[in-house]
Amino acid sequence: MFLEIKDLSVKIENKNILKGLNLNINKGEVHAIMGPNGCGKSTLANVLAGKEDYEILNGKINFKNNDLFDLNIEERAQEGMFLAFQYPVEIPGVNITPFLHSAINSKRKRMNEEEIDNLSFAKLLKSKASDLGINIDMLKRSVNTGFSGGEKKRYEILQMSILNPDLAILDETDSGLDIDALKIVTNGVNKLKTKDNSFLIITHYQKLLDYIKPDYVHVMVNGSIVKSGGSEIAAEIEKDGFQKFQ
Amino acid sequence: MNIQDNYLKNKKNIFFTENENVENHREILIKIFENDRFDKKNNESLKNVNLKNFLDFNYKYLVPEETSVINNNNDNSYSIVSVNGQCTSFKDDKIEITKILDEDYNDFSKNDTIEKNDHFVNLNSLFLNSGFKIIIKKNNNIKIKISNIITDDDLTIFQKNNYICEEGSSLNLIEEYENKNNSTSNILNVIKLEKNSQLNHFLIQDNAPNHNLIITTHSSCKKDSIYNQKVYNFSEGYVRNFHYSELIETNSEADLQGIFFLKDNNTSNNKTFVKHLAENCKSNQVYKGILNDRSKATYFSNTHVDQVAQKTEGYQLSKGILLSDNASYFSKPELKIYADDVKCSHGSTIGPIDENAIFYIRSRGMSKIAATKILISSFINEELSSINDEQMAEIIQKKLVRYLSKVK
Ligand SMILES: Nc1ncnc2c1ncn2[C@@H]1O[C@H](COP(=O)(O)OP(=O)(O)OP(=O)(O)O)[C@@H](O)[C@H]1O
Ligand SMILES: [Mg+2]
Repeated sequence: MFLEIKDLSVKIENKNILKGLNLNINKGEVHAIMGPNGCGKSTLANVLAGKEDYEILNGKINFKNNDLFDLNIEERAQEGMFLAFQYPVEIPGVNITPFLHSAINSKRKRMNEEEIDNLSFAKLLKSKASDLGINIDMLKRSVNTGFSGGEKKRYEILQMSILNPDLAILDETDSGLDIDALKIVTNGVNKLKTKDNSFLIITHYQKLLDYIKPDYVHVMVNGSIVKSGGSEIAAEIEKDGFQKFQ
Repeated sequence: MNIQDNYLKNKKNIFFTENENVENHREILIKIFENDRFDKKNNESLKNVNLKNFLDFNYKYLVPEETSVINNNNDNSYSIVSVNGQCTSFKDDKIEITKILDEDYNDFSKNDTIEKNDHFVNLNSLFLNSGFKIIIKKNNNIKIKISNIITDDDLTIFQKNNYICEEGSSLNLIEEYENKNNSTSNILNVIKLEKNSQLNHFLIQDNAPNHNLIITTHSSCKKDSIYNQKVYNFSEGYVRNFHYSELIETNSEADLQGIFFLKDNNTSNNKTFVKHLAENCKSNQVYKGILNDRSKATYFSNTHVDQVAQKTEGYQLSKGILLSDNASYFSKPELKIYADDVKCSHGSTIGPIDENAIFYIRSRGMSKIAATKILISSFINEELSSINDEQMAEIIQKKLVRYLSKVK
């Protein structure tokens, strides 16, 4: 099993958020999670990425034959996990290019691969950026600083395509994107998709799933997954909302 | 030993004891010491100060055997090695360097911008044993680098320097304080900027743990002149940076900036004070601090706008990153405005490093330490990238790397 979440319960500040959540993802699969505001989708994404504010009450997570809780945040990233944030953090004064360069090299180091030099990296970054319709001038700016909502999302996907993860978690990457950007971004995701990597896509809109075809759609309500199935579930939700799942 | 006895005992190697005006002034200072209750709460000059060490110190001074050197590298650049606060005399058509004179002392003693109960400045006047005066002549554009050297352990240097930038002149002044021995330097710089002159003053402070540096600057700016000061404090010993500026004629500017990097038990006290005394002047006071371990800092910033000083622009900012729960940074901005047409602001943000940013960076594969270092560097990125002297930028970068290497 590639990612196996078993009976996961998580709380933050005395509030139980995830309640006995189960989810299995195999290599090469695309999973989508839909659910009402506040049901715990971002919490799940953050717990997977290793954010330390949460208290894990119960459960097990296995990722690529590792107990995920044995890995710290950066080790998870180096092992191939990537979270595209719902709200990417602005980091003034940290230039995008060297930032991503260090990111890719810390991953390569763990994999015992040779570090990528400045020149090759600049080339790689430029070509990936132009694939995603990102202006080269933007690469001179500070990480997320002053970016528009849509620019931030695009930049998350740029990072993803540079780091080429085994498991990409996209937390509402479609929110805030205009229709053209949505096409470009989903196109970027589809290009990256192989039989060896997997995606966990959190979204509120069926639209995204028209572009990225999920193998499974899960409905999350009140901290656990209440229904799983194929794309037809997304259409159901689009039509009737979450009422009947609650 | 009390201050007065200490003074009388060491009178023979203190400057200007023959001058009646100086002696009269010193009598007043001794009275101030006698009558002060050393109320730490209400005296900014006493914050974080060990009163016993400060009032009861062993005075020791040595006149340097080898007088300091001046190298005329090329037409416009000078290197000075100041030894125990002294500097050899020098004169060419661009600059003139002499010993400090009693008339300079008397001139400064009349100034009332620095509080009467700033005891460190008072000690400086009382025990004065060194100092020099540099005049930059009219319309010259020069660069001076001063290395401040102290020859022996246990020395107490009380030094007053005067800088005069004559009309239309421009000076880039880089001062290095890198003392390794167990000694104390109490330095007062008095700077006069004449019409249309500019001084860019860089102070690099990187002393060993046993060295105390108390440095005070008083600058005054005439019409169209600019005083820029940038302090970089990497010292492991105590440093006090108190810097005062008076904008006495129209269209003048003062920019007082500092960055301090503290760790272990180190303490740094900082103060900037700008007095707007004429129309259309600008001032900027920005201090940033990075504090690790159990280090402590204070920063008092003050903008005083006189009632004639219309169209003043005054800006104050204090920022700090606390890398440890045991570090503390006390900052107090103050504004006193007596004119009505002014633009003034102040801000202060001090806190631990942004955990969300750390999470974001780590989620891209960088370690926690790497993330912390990235954020510290970015915190001062603006200041570092604006250093336009290449040699300076390199020096500061090296010291920053050394500081970061100790961050765990
Ligand atoms: N630091 C915190 N302290 C208290 N409650 C929190 C904290 N962080 C999250 N929560 C709560 O946890 C719940 C789940 O939040 P989460 O962000 O996971 O929701 P979500 O499903 O991603 O919602 P959305 O669709 O709006 O993005 C919410 O009720 C939220 O208020
Ligand atoms: Mg969310």
